[in-house]
Amino acid sequence: MRIPNRSLRRSSSADTEATVDDETGPAVRLENVRHEYGSTTGRFRSRSEQAVTALRDVSVDVKRGEVLGLEGPSGSGKSTILHAIAGLLVPTDGTVSVLGTDLTELSDRGRTRTRRRHVGIVFQRFHLLQSLSARANVALPLVQVGLPKSARRERATTLLSEVGLEDRVTHLPSELSGGERQRVAIARALSTDPDILVADEPTGELDTDTGADVLELLTDVGRDRAVIVASHDAATLAVADRVVTLRDGAVIEGER
Amino acid sequence: MIRRVAARLRAAIGLRRRGARASGVVGVAFAQIRRAPRRTVLAVFAVALVVLSVTLLASLGVGVVAIGEDGLENANRDIWLSSDPIDPAASGTENPIGGAHEVTADLEAREDVSSASPIAMYEVYLGTDPEALERTSAVGVPQTHSGFDFQAGGGFEIEEEAAEEAMTEGEPTTEEVVLDPATADRLDASPGDTVYIATSRQSAPEYEFTVVGTSGYYSQYLGSEASAVPLPDLLAVAGTSGTDRSTFVTADAAPGEDPQAVAADIDDAYPEYDVRASDEQIGAMAEKRPLVLASGLTLVGLAVVGGVVLTVNLFALVASQQREELAALRAIGLSRWVLAGTIGAQGLVIGLLGGIVGLLATPALATGLNRVVIEVIGFERLLRTPLEVYVVGFVLAALVGTIVALVAGWRAGRYARIEHLGA
Repeated sequence: MRIPNRSLRRSSSADTEATVDDETGPAVRLENVRHEYGSTTGRFRSRSEQAVTALRDVSVDVKRGEVLGLEGPSGSGKSTILHAIAGLLVPTDGTVSVLGTDLTELSDRGRTRTRRRHVGIVFQRFHLLQSLSARANVALPLVQVGLPKSARRERATTLLSEVGLEDRVTHLPSELSGGERQRVAIARALSTDPDILVADEPTGELDTDTGADVLELLTDVGRDRAVIVASHDAATLAVADRVVTLRDGAVIEGER
Repeated sequence: MIRRVAARLRAAIGLRRRGARASGVVGVAFAQIRRAPRRTVLAVFAVALVVLSVTLLASLGVGVVAIGEDGLENANRDIWLSSDPIDPAASGTENPIGGAHEVTADLEAREDVSSASPIAMYEVYLGTDPEALERTSAVGVPQTHSGFDFQAGGGFEIEEEAAEEAMTEGEPTTEEVVLDPATADRLDASPGDTVYIATSRQSAPEYEFTVVGTSGYYSQYLGSEASAVPLPDLLAVAGTSGTDRSTFVTADAAPGEDPQAVAADIDDAYPEYDVRASDEQIGAMAEKRPLVLASGLTLVGLAVVGGVVLTVNLFALVASQQREELAALRAIGLSRWVLAGTIGAQGLVIGLLGGIVGLLATPALATGLNRVVIEVIGFERLLRTPLEVYVVGFVLAALVGTIVALVAGWRAGRYARIEHLGA
């Protein structure tokens, strides 16, 4: 169910975003990634503040069309891996490559561009803007792309239809059920036609049946993308082609 | 040629994309404003207060500077003849023009002058009881006029012949006085009452004056309480009828004459005096009031700086309240510029609304405060709000509000991190 939109793709400078669309290599590659929270040398950091190691030498590849599950208890480093793939954080050591480009070498602006064009994010708590309709939420990433309003609306409406919300287009998030909100969030993540989809506990706020529907949708839309799903729920991880198990920031099973 | 066309095409597409992005940003900003009406109303109210603080404080600053100038402007005289130093605040100590009536007569004899009159200022003792007198300023003038805007009673007018006779004999004429309203209140004096005025406590019982009215006209001019009496009467009280001393001799240019040119001619004729046209005299008086000028400018400066600081705080707060939304926008790939744009657009809207509310409320509040000021200290129109003050207030609200909101949004883009999303 990929809805390609070539108008979203633009030429870009090599130093500001991922440009290598290597069809043969992994879509995502983490090599010897280590990350410590509180390890930055902030001027106002308390002396008593201790650095917390979130990831320890993690090396993982994710291929196109593959659904990778990240399994582990709270604090095991699942979300940190997703945030590193999305360029929302730069690990303390190691490299994170997206479509062949090392995100750790990019500026904040470059990582933002890469995220916008190549990575879609789905959060546990949806994080939709409550002030906007479902359609406007889905169209949000397209604002940055600079698509005209009519094109944004058209694409958002199409995506909402694809996730089964054609009759909820103008509804506010507060007027939608949890499952519907997550569907809107998935549609939003797909709006720029990303190559990679990351989902952090996508069913964490949903009941079992609704969660199953959302998982079906995720695997459906991720057919020709690299999908990384973090969860500690066995049912959620059951949809994954491969599961990597984490404990205290280290991979204990399923590496590479 | 093809390259040029391609470049233009790329530029046009880029412009279109920027326009589309801007419209999207504005849409999000409006949605955020609508989403939290209470926060929006409070923010608009806060901006209105900022604008009011700027316009009212600046009005006070302008009023403080202008109030002294009003005396000269209200006197409505084209030409001012004086001798430095002239310090109205030290009235009575400086009456450097001797033979004032002779100078006045000479001026009136000129074809390019339609009229002339002297003004004297003295520090006097004044009271309803000759045993309980207070020190105040008295201004001697040939007559009062409509500009006095009497709060009670009326004024006085001395016939020219009677004035000359009184000057010759060193006697007062009508012995009438227009009291400052605050002085009248303190003395519990009203039109028809008798007060004593003299330059020494000992001679006070000799000079009884009848209160004919109350007006703050010369008080506004001098910046302190002052009462007006006929010029011959003041000179008689001061014992200077013989030398006929005055602080100023004022004159009006004849119809069709250029006051500046007439002032220059008179200056040539009287090299021992300083002759200035009205505007120059206002400037000269203002220069001699550095404290007043400094106070006025300080108030204006404080108003602007205070307004900017308040605006910065307000929009930093508005941006901080939307930190989670901004973090979500950042996470889905929106740039810091777009985040700054959404907060900046909110700043523009809130700034415009707050600016309009603040400006609309300014005249009403200034009028109300002026009424209080009249009641308390007797100064009329202490707060003055020229167009420039409204412009400064509105610019502060709209422009500074937008810029500050943009900066706040830009900074918020930095601290709106994934950690703020919770999960």
